Amino acid sequence: MTTPGGLGPTYAALVELQELSARLMSQIDSAHREIGETRAILKDAIDRLMPAFTAMRASDAVQVMSPSKREAFSALQFQDISDQLLAHAQGRLSSLQAAVYQLAKAMENGDVQPGDSDVLCALVEQANDQLADLDLNLIKPVGKAHLGTGDMELF
Amino acid sequence: MKTILTVDDSPSIRQMLAFVLSSNGYKVIEASDGEEGLALAKAHQVDLVLTDQNMPRIDGLGLIRALRALPGYRSIPIMMLTTESSQALKQQGREAGATGWMVKPFDPEKLLEMLRRVLGE
Repeated sequence: MTTPGGLGPTYAALVELQELSARLMSQIDSAHREIGETRAILKDAIDRLMPAFTAMRASDAVQVMSPSKREAFSALQFQDISDQLLAHAQGRLSSLQAAVYQLAKAMENGDVQPGDSDVLCALVEQANDQLADLDLNLIKPVGKAHLGTGDMELF
Repeated sequence: MKTILTVDDSPSIRQMLAFVLSSNGYKVIEASDGEEGLALAKAHQVDLVLTDQNMPRIDGLGLIRALRALPGYRSIPIMMLTTESSQALKQQGREAGATGWMVKPFDPEKLLEMLRRVLGE
């Protein structure tokens, strides 16, 4: 990315970087939106199913819940767990989006000039720091190792 | 009627728990994270706490430690209900003062059976 003399990025390298950051922004936006759409579909399914379970309250005590209803009960929870994982992925993408946005904006505004490595280094360092902190700042939603239901242990 | 405090950041899991517990004769109080759970535990007389692990503000282990430090909660059953199933985390739960551990998704009958056992019913 620097000139042979090590004096900073060339004009061609900056153009490439600008294109790369714009493409990254576009792809991250799309992934974020698609996950959002998937979550909306899941939410709709949960919203439709929950009233059916609530309605069972009066007519069907849990002790006599049929096997198929119990399966549906578990499936509903899996949907919820999936939604939490998707929300987590969306949060991760939002942070990535913010980090790439700063770089893309600076490139678009011409903040980094050919030969000027200090500004570019500062931008990359800032993005790097943001991404390094990502795992610390995100709340872990789910640690599901298998799809079994209801393992229990009394201490 | 025994009172159960459920602590989970997922509204639908809270709703499912409320459905199972209230239709089996328990009074249910709901909190959406550990901090709210702690506040509700201080404000109400609770017979059992059922908490998730991964939540904003205060997680399940943090909630258990905070509750066990309160005089009224030293011997109240506190159950973890979480997707986490690693032995290391279970050990941390045991050390924090959890009474037991159940992995989501929960089976309503198994959950009720476990609660009755720890409540001595």
